[in-house]
Amino acid sequence: MRSLQRVEENPCRPRHFRPPPPCTPVIADERASALLETCRTRLVATAALFAVVFVVVMLRLAEIVLLSGGSAESHVGRIRPVAPPLPMRADIVDRNGRLLATTLDSPSLYADPRQILDADEATRAITSVLTQLDPAELHAKLTSGKSFAWIKRRLTPRQQYAVNRLGIPGLQFEHEERRIYPFGDLAAHVVGFCGIDNVGLAGIERALDKQVKGAPGPIQLSLDARVQFILHEELTRVIADFSAKGAAGIIMDVRTGEIVAMTSLPDFDPNHPGRGDAKLSPAEAKDRVFNKITLGAYELGSVFKTFNTAMALDSGVATMTKQYDAAHDIKIGRFTISDYHGKHRALSVPEIYMYSSNIGSARMALEAGAERQRNFLDKLGLLKPVPIEFDEVAKPHYPRHWREVNVITIAYGHGISVTPLHAITAVSAVVNGGILRTPTLHKLPPGSVQPGERVMSEKTSDQMRKLMRLVVEFGTAKLAAAPGYVVGGKTGTAEKNVGGHYVEKKLLSDFVGAFPMQDPKYAFLLLVDEPHPNKQSHGYATAGWTVVPAASRIIQRIAPLLGVQPVDEASPAITRALAVESLQGKKIETY
Amino acid sequence: MTRLGVVFWCVLVAVAGFTTFKVKYAVQDIEDQLNRVRRHTIAEQQEIRVLTAEWTYLTQPERLADLNRRFLQLAPIAARQMQRTIADIPLRAPAAPAAPPAGPPDVPPDFVAGVNSDPDAPPTPADALATTPAALTVTPAAAPSPAGALPAVPAAPAPTVPGPTALGPGVAKPGSLDALVALMVTPAAAAAPAAPIPAGAKPATRVQLAKAGPAPTPGALDALIAQIADTR
Repeated sequence: MRSLQRVEENPCRPRHFRPPPPCTPVIADERASALLETCRTRLVATAALFAVVFVVVMLRLAEIVLLSGGSAESHVGRIRPVAPPLPMRADIVDRNGRLLATTLDSPSLYADPRQILDADEATRAITSVLTQLDPAELHAKLTSGKSFAWIKRRLTPRQQYAVNRLGIPGLQFEHEERRIYPFGDLAAHVVGFCGIDNVGLAGIERALDKQVKGAPGPIQLSLDARVQFILHEELTRVIADFSAKGAAGIIMDVRTGEIVAMTSLPDFDPNHPGRGDAKLSPAEAKDRVFNKITLGAYELGSVFKTFNTAMALDSGVATMTKQYDAAHDIKIGRFTISDYHGKHRALSVPEIYMYSSNIGSARMALEAGAERQRNFLDKLGLLKPVPIEFDEVAKPHYPRHWREVNVITIAYGHGISVTPLHAITAVSAVVNGGILRTPTLHKLPPGSVQPGERVMSEKTSDQMRKLMRLVVEFGTAKLAAAPGYVVGGKTGTAEKNVGGHYVEKKLLSDFVGAFPMQDPKYAFLLLVDEPHPNKQSHGYATAGWTVVPAASRIIQRIAPLLGVQPVDEASPAITRALAVESLQGKKIETY
Repeated sequence: MTRLGVVFWCVLVAVAGFTTFKVKYAVQDIEDQLNRVRRHTIAEQQEIRVLTAEWTYLTQPERLADLNRRFLQLAPIAARQMQRTIADIPLRAPAAPAAPPAGPPDVPPDFVAGVNSDPDAPPTPADALATTPAALTVTPAAAPSPAGALPAVPAAPAPTVPGPTALGPGVAKPGSLDALVALMVTPAAAAAPAAPIPAGAKPATRVQLAKAGPAPTPGALDALIAQIADTR
């Protein structure tokens, strides 16, 4: 009460201040005091807890700042998770994993001139690294005051590293991807190339565009870069030796249908397709991109006698001992069918094939008939486009109405145009025991075999192998002999049909065959376009003098790489396997 | 009793909180580490891509053929250099005549006979050397060593290779690369040398190979990319 009075008496008190009513005296109740005690304890405990936490924080601070010199790992600048960047296009590799096409980061350098602090210094530094740049031009760019200026497109990784090391603020990289073909023109037609926007425009790049884009790993082709190089080199030599217009070659595994090498010359560098020499006319540049193997349909000439003979033997029309009159030319309409090197007598089937007799082949085909011939060629896949991975595949040309004259000319490879790919696929079937397999550019897992279609009996295939061996032993392809590798094959030389007329001087010489003949593993086809005779060829430009020697060189070089064991060609096992019974004991005239 | 309970729970909460805190940061640390490693991996992978491309560019068959022409002059393996059967591989000839007084029981007689009856089988190591694939008979003496082009090759390395020099230049066909390519790309594909090689010859050859290999041109791929950049 006294205190209240004292307040009220105080003249300085605030006007509305009313002192609170005096508390009721606390009665020292036992329960209440216990409660108070509990509260107190709780407060103390909480305070102690906080004190401990603060002490811990302080200690930790002291430890970080004072003891470990501020080096404790920071949790602030966290490293953000990264997704591995998949290249836009997968690599393409050959069957041994050698890179045929790859995608590399190819950064382009640009500058923000407004951020460049010292243009003189920057110019000096940049030109010291990118020596091709013109300092005056660069200086002008850096002082332009714009916010963007390209300095150099498509730096190499080394240049990028060097520029980065300069540490000039205001320089930035724009990441772009660039398709690189490290082997250049080696497999240009097979691998193809990409446009500037990384879309496949030719070859595998085009045919498997989706696969190449989506693949997590490299795409493995059936090609072997080493074999490809040898084929490429030897064909280049053929072109040079016979001043030819072009050449092409293909090597196929007859057991699986895998294409081991495929070359078409002249070719191009897929790193800058359609450019090459500035001297080239557009037509020439186009010719370089043209793949003769899959896009060129040619009358392959006598090579077709292989299919004709197989047809006659397989259908039972002819046997190995049967003889046909080859002494007299065949006259039909205004055509006369004669032989290039006539023997002027009756020839047996092996002799017809060995001496490449047009008359004998025609008589064989006539005996078999148009329907049989057509059906057999169709079965061999020679009348429809080859179902390979490529988009660029030509259709064969053949007469719509299969008349008698067509039967005759087709017997020796005229009046029907097929691509070299057709021919080698069919020849593989002829020599591998009679199974036609789809050619493929994908590497197949070792040991796996594609399902094939039987197109002739094993016996016919066996007989054809003997005949093809005969051609190399005694016939037109003697120069193809590669000691130890038992080569067999059939040559063909066709006059090119220009504007409906056959031109005598424009030849297409080709040679198709396989090795080793006792158990064929690889088939090959070589073709040279418009070869001209030279001194070594004794004035000939026929297949026997142009591509056949090249075949021998190629086989001797590639066989060890492909793991083909050489054999002793004179050993009884080999001669027995390849002997033609009907010619045994006779003296064989050489071609 | 209650008090003890309270203390227990308090301690539990504190411990739980602290553990959570610890674990969270530990996990964050590990995640950071993982991301760092991932970044490194990606950087390495990119680097490997570039190096693979560069390696492929530097080992173009055409370039190797040229290098072979200039420095090694290896020839492709000819069929006659390859042994056809296991019996064609000669036994250690010089030791053989002295060794079997009683005849080694573990060598089948037909095997020995096969060796002797084969006309191709070289009877002595000197002859055996003649059938050694030319891939291994390097002939440094025959290699034209332009002074400027190849400073690393010693001026007169000929004495280090004892035997093969005699055979070299005649057999070695310039411009053939297959043997080299076979060695570099898939060693297994090229038929392994069948004939035994005297102990001294091979190391010497190796040294030659190592020395003759020109230093890789730095930035060869750069040249290619630069070329592409210029043309596009």
